[in-house]
Amino acid sequence: MSGSATTSLTLGYYPGCSQTGTAAEYDRSSRACCQALGVRLVDVPDWTCCGSTPAHTVDHVLAGALAARNLLQAERIGHDRVATPCPSCLAALRTASQHLAQDVQPDSNAPEDMAPSFRAEVERLLDRPAPLRASAVSVLQVLAEDVGIAAIASAVKKPLTGLRVAPYYGCLLNRPPGLMAFDDPENPTALDRVLTACGATVVDFPFKTECCGAAFGMPRLDIMQRLSARILDMADTCGADVIVVACPLCQMNLDLRRGQVNDHSRRQGGREFSLPAPYFTQLLGLALGLAEADLGLDKLVLDLRPVLEAARAREQKRALEVAAVAAAKTAAKAAAKADGTSGQKPGKPGSEPGPKEDAPCA
Amino acid sequence: MRIGVMVCHCGNNIAATVDCEAVALAAREFPDVVFATDHMYACSDPGQKTIEQTIRDLKLDGVVVASCSPRMHEVTFRRAVERAGLNRYMFEMANIREHVAWISLDRKRNTEKATDLVRMAVEKLRYDRPLTAKSFEVHKRVLIIGAGVAGIQAALDCAEGGLDVVLVERRQSIGGIMSKLDKTFPTIDCSVCVLGPKMVDVGQHPRITLHTLSEVEELSGYVGNFEVKIRKKSPFVDWTKCTGCGACLEKCPSKKVPDRHNEGICTTTAITIPFPQAIPKRAAIDPTVCLRFTKGKCGVCQKVCPANAVDYDMQDEVLTEKVGAVITATGLDLFDHTKCGEYGGGRYPDVITSLQYERMLSASGPTAGHIKRPSDGAEPKTVVFIACVGSRDRSVDRPYCSTFCCMYTAKQAILTRDHIPDAKAYVFYMDIRACGKGYEEFIRRAQEEYDVQYIRGRVAQVYPTSGPTGGPSGGQLMVRGADTLLGAQVEIAADLVVLAVGAEAAHGAPELAEKLRISCDAYGFFLESHPKLRPVETNTVGIFLAGACQAPKDIPASVAQASAAAGKVLALLSKDKLESDPQIAQVQTIRCIGCGKCERTCPFGAIRMRELRDGSKRAEVVETVCQGCGICSVTCPVRAIQLAHFTDSQLLAEVNALCRTWDETTES
Amino acid sequence: MASDSSANASPDRTPELRAKIAAELEGVDFVLGYGRGFDPLHATPVTVRSEKDLGRLIFDPTCVQNLATSLYGLRGKRLGVVVKGCDSRSVIQLLQERLWERENLVIFGLPCEGVIDLAKLRASMDVASVKAASFIGSPRNGLLRLTLPEGGREVVIEKESAGLLADKCLRCQYPNPLVSDHVIGPETLPQGAQDTYADLAALEKLSTQERFDFWKRQMGRCIRCYACRNACPLCVCKHVCLADSREPHWLSAEATLQEKWLFQVMHALHLAGRCTECGECQRSCPMGIPILLLKRMMNRELKELFNYQAGVSLEAIPPLHTFLMEEDRIKDRGLLW
Ligand SMILES: Cc1cc2nc3c(=O)[nH]c(=O)nc-3n(C[C@H](O)[C@H](O)[C@H](O)COP(=O)(O)OP(=O)(O)OC[C@H]3O[C@@H](n4cnc5c(N)ncnc54)[C@H](O)[C@@H]3O)c2cc1C
Ligand code: SF4
Ligand code: SF4
Ligand code: SF4
Repeated sequence: MSGSATTSLTLGYYPGCSQTGTAAEYDRSSRACCQALGVRLVDVPDWTCCGSTPAHTVDHVLAGALAARNLLQAERIGHDRVATPCPSCLAALRTASQHLAQDVQPDSNAPEDMAPSFRAEVERLLDRPAPLRASAVSVLQVLAEDVGIAAIASAVKKPLTGLRVAPYYGCLLNRPPGLMAFDDPENPTALDRVLTACGATVVDFPFKTECCGAAFGMPRLDIMQRLSARILDMADTCGADVIVVACPLCQMNLDLRRGQVNDHSRRQGGREFSLPAPYFTQLLGLALGLAEADLGLDKLVLDLRPVLEAARAREQKRALEVAAVAAAKTAAKAAAKADGTSGQKPGKPGSEPGPKEDAPCA
Repeated sequence: MRIGVMVCHCGNNIAATVDCEAVALAAREFPDVVFATDHMYACSDPGQKTIEQTIRDLKLDGVVVASCSPRMHEVTFRRAVERAGLNRYMFEMANIREHVAWISLDRKRNTEKATDLVRMAVEKLRYDRPLTAKSFEVHKRVLIIGAGVAGIQAALDCAEGGLDVVLVERRQSIGGIMSKLDKTFPTIDCSVCVLGPKMVDVGQHPRITLHTLSEVEELSGYVGNFEVKIRKKSPFVDWTKCTGCGACLEKCPSKKVPDRHNEGICTTTAITIPFPQAIPKRAAIDPTVCLRFTKGKCGVCQKVCPANAVDYDMQDEVLTEKVGAVITATGLDLFDHTKCGEYGGGRYPDVITSLQYERMLSASGPTAGHIKRPSDGAEPKTVVFIACVGSRDRSVDRPYCSTFCCMYTAKQAILTRDHIPDAKAYVFYMDIRACGKGYEEFIRRAQEEYDVQYIRGRVAQVYPTSGPTGGPSGGQLMVRGADTLLGAQVEIAADLVVLAVGAEAAHGAPELAEKLRISCDAYGFFLESHPKLRPVETNTVGIFLAGACQAPKDIPASVAQASAAAGKVLALLSKDKLESDPQIAQVQTIRCIGCGKCERTCPFGAIRMRELRDGSKRAEVVETVCQGCGICSVTCPVRAIQLAHFTDSQLLAEVNALCRTWDETTES
Repeated sequence: MASDSSANASPDRTPELRAKIAAELEGVDFVLGYGRGFDPLHATPVTVRSEKDLGRLIFDPTCVQNLATSLYGLRGKRLGVVVKGCDSRSVIQLLQERLWERENLVIFGLPCEGVIDLAKLRASMDVASVKAASFIGSPRNGLLRLTLPEGGREVVIEKESAGLLADKCLRCQYPNPLVSDHVIGPETLPQGAQDTYADLAALEKLSTQERFDFWKRQMGRCIRCYACRNACPLCVCKHVCLADSREPHWLSAEATLQEKWLFQVMHALHLAGRCTECGECQRSCPMGIPILLLKRMMNRELKELFNYQAGVSLEAIPPLHTFLMEEDRIKDRGLLW
């Protein structure tokens, strides 16, 4: 058996600009994971900017038109669900669908001075009707809901046993709740569940949706430094080996800009943080047994491999200890039996798979 | 037919924008109208006299008054025509004040519209028929559902007024939320000290029959003649024998049951008496946790009971009572804050609800009045209160204000500073709503005398500073929020966080509303008949509302409404006989095809199917139950049910009077 | 006329139908079925009381009538009735509204591949001159072979039957009877895609004024023959129909546009949540007024508001025959105060 899940699902795929540059590894690992789990992604033909930055800060109709164009392109090849890894693209695409869906055709008798509807404007900009049916979903939602946690768990080949992960969702992935309609906006759990299915130990991380400073890295570096440092500090405090992200911008702040963040932390008399910040798809890919090259592990600024090694070693050591304890117990029991003084219920301890029961929880 | 018309000026209310004289003049041309005049105040004594006199002088068969809303004066004028010897239903009212004068300033078009409305009334009157009410006997007893402070007050008032009271409470003891409170605002007097005596009175009053651990299963009948089925859950203890000595409580081995009266902050036994002042002070077993019921072993309580009252085989009992009126006083439940991930969603032991905090403050509570953090039992030095948790928050579908949280939060902050003088108390609030008597002063005291720090802003997040894996013990909770007055973010390291959870309708309230055939809003609060003029009545005659079941209310307001409801019931049942409204549905048996659709749709259960001699079925309206809503009449496929005084013909006459010009404008 | 047997031919269900009816004749007063009408293209309702009537029974794509229409007037009897998939929905509706008793009805259900709409044929030829007609293959993709006189001789022409199918058949979701005691022959597959209400959408493209004019034109042509009402299986008011009633006096006998229009609106409203779109009203209209549109409009609304479709489940209660304080999809509470 190939081990890949039985799901057979085909979706449109909108990579978004960052996936071709700073987040190339997110793109690569998303595609690899989806393929391994039986989800076929078909690129939206001739995709363009989703309108998220900077169009929507200048003209939200124009931004809407850009997003709508991409969705229409997907519809053209027969897909009305479009997956995207990037939460920012997701927000832009979903906003456009929602606005268009809610926009009623203006009444032909409407007074002249009424502003033309959003739909009318978008259609004028695109120079074609936009009877949009398509809508976007995050790759995370596709994996957690369409593929399903159980299917992921059964497809895992190399469980990440012993790796302590802090799941960091960022501010946008499931918010605003009315728009994203996925997971709890204040205490989301989809990543937790996916990572647990991969065999990792998910720490109870209170800063799942805290702000990382986002694009403030450019105009006000200090703000981004302070906010990202807080998140890393909390992940560290919680005892996480890695902080797992789902957004290219968060990832940039927590990984690429780690030097800047550590500078700031040091200046404030705080710690430096060494925990890597991979995309969740990279960890998932590892658990599914995919090749490191397919997951772009080399693209991470903070190398993931030493942490994985350390976790593996730790896990091995623990397993040995557990086995030793169990062996000692059986030996003692055997000795007692030989003595003929066994007052214990026979059979029961031996029939138990020892290590599991005594395993200390992390 | 001979019809008289009077157009009222209502001082200047109508006359300012309607030419009343012209309307009266026009009315003289309407069919059957033999007299039409205008009058300064039709409802005044001279106005009514004129109506009566004209009826007698001109031998009128019916009268139309064009004036205000029938809600105001229909009764007045009906009495007037009756005095002059007409049937009270030979009267029609055209509302030319609210529907015309008050909504437009265009005198010409107002006058036209008023004329149209009068024409409609005249046309309807031509189809009106005299109707007569029937009278029926009433039961002089009242059912009160829910025995919180509101139910208790209503029960005592009704009993003092001479009515027999059946009081039904679903918990083991009466008292409701108030019995859990420590002190009450704005006087900081002891809650149980003021409520206790009233509870005792209820227990002892000869006219009050108390059923606790009981719920209403079914209500049938109509005002004056309700029949109610009450399910008394088995306490597995014979309450006629139990003396409330508590010996069983001490010996019960199942001691890990979350204590409901103490809001789960401590545990109790499977057989309990909820609190020392409980009424009735009797023990009851919770079969879901009792070892005897869950595991089939134990039986200790039966052995230790000196009165031999424990009976494991006791069954639920269903009683039937006949009453003339019903008061619902089912109160409130609290918002479930675990829906709010930002405050920890129930994950942090040191984030507690306001009612849990009340129990902690209470000298009779599990901590004997000492404030202790649940995680480690330490005395908190910084307590942060978060207001509006589940109130005024559309994101959790609770858009309304719970009205009393601002006040109890101030109270709890004051008590915090009283109990632990070196503690700091912070309150995050959106607005302070303190509009009762002495309330604003109370808030001021909290701020000025007790130095409670009020921060205007919402809390974005509560998180443990030490990281949850490190274990919360000794660690603090960081409360991060906005201070909108400073325009800054604030973070406060708290030892204890108290959430001012908002009010929700008591669970099961919508189902109860359905049983009682009253309405509730989208949140389960019962709907009053009119928000201003009929605040304690429901739309079902004979059913009244008291306390927080109608909307979130504090104790003074709950008690006031309870007494008001009791007053209404006493007035209603002071009569030996009641008259039924003749404006009800009537079945034309020859038309009825017996399909039973009306029976299915009638929201009041007023229709039953009767069998004719040939075995076929026909609908029949139970006159006293029918509320005249007219739903059956629109459901009936063959129009066999007509609503008296609102028959198709009468309504058509009105519509036709209004739509005379259809052909001219559209058929061109 | 007999159906030709060819590769894709529909099964001839008539022999089995006759056999099944024969077996049930004893227990019923009579059975309502289809027989050949006054010409080869028309079927007509027949009553089967004894063995000797069995020979008159037929079933083919000319059997357009909804025999459920006769049921209400025959209450009190014990009957058998022959129904197609669509007709069975009318029966369900009658049963569900307690207008008939299930135990007094033996239902012979015919899985159906479509019936023809003569109006469509009439558009291209003189239907009255047809001497003989037969169907070849399934009506969905077969042929209708007609024999016509031409100058003393007879000629045979063929038409594709798919183009003649009734509109309701093109969107039919329930070709197999939803309630029956006997199913005659194998089941068929639904042929229509989901109903998109394209006809309504086309109408709604018009401006309000244009639509008003459209209906004014259409309603102006109504001659108030009440054929539509009489053909409707669910119009059960009969002698107390509001159109004829003096008390209450909803409609006058005047032949004005207003009265005609009001009648049709009343007809539609009284069928809200009940109409199964059998199309008999429109088929029977001698003036060809598209009155089914009004009913489809109501039905679309009901589908949206209550997610309800009439005549598909015996247990369902039509939404307008219930009373709820708060409907899921109607938010009127907020408007009160
Ligand atoms: C933390 C907190 C502090 C407060 N502090 C104050 C204060 O200091 N001062 C003040 O004025 N107000 C205060 N209040 C408000 C006060 O509690 C309410 O105003 C009051 O309890 C309302 O009384 P009630 O009788 O209407 O409802 P409840 O007290 O809720 O009583 C309703 C009763 O009906 C019973 N019941 C419910 N449903 C059914 C059913 N279907 N069948 C039978 N019985 C049923 C319930 O078991 C309950 O016993 C506070 C509220 C809270 C939550
Ligand atoms: S009018 Fe009809 S539906 Fe309304 S209460 Fe009376 S009988 Fe019931
Ligand atoms: S709905 Fe009309 S016809 Fe049917 S039972 Fe009721 S009154 Fe009779
Ligand atoms: S209204 Fe027309 S389509 Fe509807 S059930 Fe009656 S006859 Fe059939």
